[in-house]
Amino acid sequence: MLHYVTVNIDGADIHAPKGSSVLDVALEYGICIPHLCHVPGLSDIGACRLCIVEHITNGRSVVTTSCTLKVQEGMVIRTNTDRIKRLRHNIAELLVAEAPNSRAIQDIAVRCGVKKVRYPFRNSNCVLCGRCVRACAEIWHANAIGFVGRGKNRHVERPLNMREEFCKGCDYCIQLCPMTIPPCDGPMKPGEEYLCGKCESQLMITEDIPDSCAWCRLGEGFNCGRYAGLKAVR
Amino acid sequence: MQQLATRRDLETTRKQLLLDRKKIDKTLIICGGTGCTASRSQDVIDTINQELLMQDLDFSVRLRITGCHGFCEQGPIMVIEPGNIFYCHVTPNDAHEIVTKTLRDGEIIERLLYTDPVSGRKIQTEAEIPFYQAQDRQLLSKNREINPCSLEDYIAIGGYMALDKVINSLSPEEIIHEIKVSGLRGRGGGGFPTGRKWTECYEAPGDEKYVICNADEGDPGAYMDRCVLEGNPYLVLEGMMIGAYAVGATKGYIYVRNEYPLAVKHARLAVQEARKYGLLGEDILGSSFSFDVDVARGGGAFVCGESTALMASLEGKVGEPRPKDVHTVVDGLWHKPTTLNNVETWANVPSIILNGAGWFASKGTKGSKGTKILALTGRIKNTGLVEIAMGTTIRDVVFGIGGGATNGKAIKAVQTGGPSGGCLPVDKFDLPVDFDVLYEAGSMVGSGGMVVMDESSCMVDVAKYFLTFLQDESCGMCVPCRLGIDRMLEIITDITEGRGTLEQLDLLEELADTVTQTSLCGLGKTAANPVLSTLRYFREEYEAHITNKKCPAGVCKALIEYFIDPEKCTGCGKCKRSCIHSAISGEKKEPHVINAELCQKCGICLSECKFEAIQVK
Repeated sequence: MLHYVTVNIDGADIHAPKGSSVLDVALEYGICIPHLCHVPGLSDIGACRLCIVEHITNGRSVVTTSCTLKVQEGMVIRTNTDRIKRLRHNIAELLVAEAPNSRAIQDIAVRCGVKKVRYPFRNSNCVLCGRCVRACAEIWHANAIGFVGRGKNRHVERPLNMREEFCKGCDYCIQLCPMTIPPCDGPMKPGEEYLCGKCESQLMITEDIPDSCAWCRLGEGFNCGRYAGLKAVR
Repeated sequence: MQQLATRRDLETTRKQLLLDRKKIDKTLIICGGTGCTASRSQDVIDTINQELLMQDLDFSVRLRITGCHGFCEQGPIMVIEPGNIFYCHVTPNDAHEIVTKTLRDGEIIERLLYTDPVSGRKIQTEAEIPFYQAQDRQLLSKNREINPCSLEDYIAIGGYMALDKVINSLSPEEIIHEIKVSGLRGRGGGGFPTGRKWTECYEAPGDEKYVICNADEGDPGAYMDRCVLEGNPYLVLEGMMIGAYAVGATKGYIYVRNEYPLAVKHARLAVQEARKYGLLGEDILGSSFSFDVDVARGGGAFVCGESTALMASLEGKVGEPRPKDVHTVVDGLWHKPTTLNNVETWANVPSIILNGAGWFASKGTKGSKGTKILALTGRIKNTGLVEIAMGTTIRDVVFGIGGGATNGKAIKAVQTGGPSGGCLPVDKFDLPVDFDVLYEAGSMVGSGGMVVMDESSCMVDVAKYFLTFLQDESCGMCVPCRLGIDRMLEIITDITEGRGTLEQLDLLEELADTVTQTSLCGLGKTAANPVLSTLRYFREEYEAHITNKKCPAGVCKALIEYFIDPEKCTGCGKCKRSCIHSAISGEKKEPHVINAELCQKCGICLSECKFEAIQVK
């Protein structure tokens, strides 16, 4: 039997199944918390830090990632305070400066209010969200790819950079990868990167917190948590 | 030595050992810690051994090879009892003289005595040396009394008395209460109240619990944990056993970094010996308490000093942290309740149990009790490991124990707490070493590193050094830490190379704040401290780099220029010969000149010139 607890997210008291994460609960309830590394059904590692929320306990507010935070009775969560918006903005800015050539990342950045990128663009091919690695390990138990190196040298790699036979060719890693869809104008040349996010910014004009973000249309491709939630409702 | 199956065995063994030891009154103590070993103390030990044999003194003199004495820069250190004669910088060539004169005839060799750099006088005993005088050595003083490889030595100085007391007369609640009242806080960096940690672990459901000793000390310049673990491993083990008894754990791990070979060796030996004599294993000292310890070696990752990363490493996974929304005292190693403490914290436990919480709480300040070991390094006269009562001011440490600046330069700042800590300027030197006070000031006690910097250090460069270190050591899992540190370093590099702007300074501050608030683990959460504290206290240095394109300390290569003062230059040609880039030209006895295009700013000529003719602008 499912046990339920009541949590308060952004002022709304939500009846949520015990054991689920704050992010899942919020997404299902229609409160969109931007996120990148979270994929429904996979374990959460809290790597992208975009889904940060303020968890208010004993009058103190602690910034923590909602994907790794499990709901508890009487929990008070704020997802969209000024502090969270500012921090999320800075994280999204770091991400988009690293990988401007992904529509997903571009849209996240604009959605988090990034209007100008203050760092030089870098044009990496990977933001190390770990979606592929976890899908490979947890869905297929294949472990055909994994993280290698640490810090700046961290990258996704086959075992020992040579063992290809672990891969079962499911392509799920590619489907989940946020880097697969380039911006509408096409891939940007190195040195000419810019902040695009056109789709998302149009939505931002009409609504403060848009009902549907570009992720929802893209969402199917890389399995956005909210997309999965909406599909379940429909 | 007999098996120690019951508490009576322990007592009779101790009595017997003390009786045996009374027979030999002369003891020659030589430091065999890592610091002194690096200054060839092993050679000294070998030659002394030979000398003792040759002069037929090997039965009347006890040679004790101990752990670190703390004053590593004076190594190899030798102490001769009775009389507590303190010799430093001993070489193998001195062995004959020491054995003949001091040991046989009781003469003192002036040459080997310590010279106080402040007053210049020779000092005979350890107790009179100013470096030791100002300290309160509760943990470190035990190092010289025992051979770390000898269980007998440890038992002879009262080892395992605390364990005996705990097992036979205290309940877990009473132990935890004692630790709580003592006010002991984690010595590894966070300063979390140990009693609270133990309570939570004790109350956590589960019949299988673990205790871990964190000896993965990685801060540059810090080595207190190494010193305690390699100098007194049984003390740490005893502390762990008491903790395990209190929280209900049956298994412990010592996670020690592989770069500390001596600490690994001594810890392993201690565990083996303790097992052999029945101090680890089933039914310890005749009670129903069973406990065993394994020594695990760390693979060289700084981040594995973070509790969850350490546990992941122990589990055999990649040493990466995981979110701590549920604390490790409830969900730790293999998802079982786990108490993880630092080496120094564990080492403090036995004396709290023996001497009482009141004794421990009588030292220190309101929020920080007891003593703390600091690794004092940098541009000061006396460097080494110092143990002070909490609440001693930084000024007392730097000028009292450290003896003030070398080369007559003015001291500018002190960096406390390693890469997670911050830099405090001279006008904050009256602050006490206290967890809360230093945290308020933008730094932290941390694990206890204390690097003193004088006016020849550029604070922007210091921040850059620590960021480079952290960028290498970050596991790279979460975005703020991986990309944030990288971008901070990018900005600071811009500043040190003259490309910085004032807007970048604001961006740096904002980014530092974001990294602090949103990073996953302790490494990221404190990574910005070197930047934030230098920005807070030395903003003018940053601004000088940006607006004047000058490095006030003359460190940042892109912003400085070497030149020769023609009035001071005698034309000796020494700089010309020493310059590996052939950038200096000039005739003999004529002022030389530096070709700025060829000059690589290596600074060799500066150190070669005896007339201070080469200057930096």
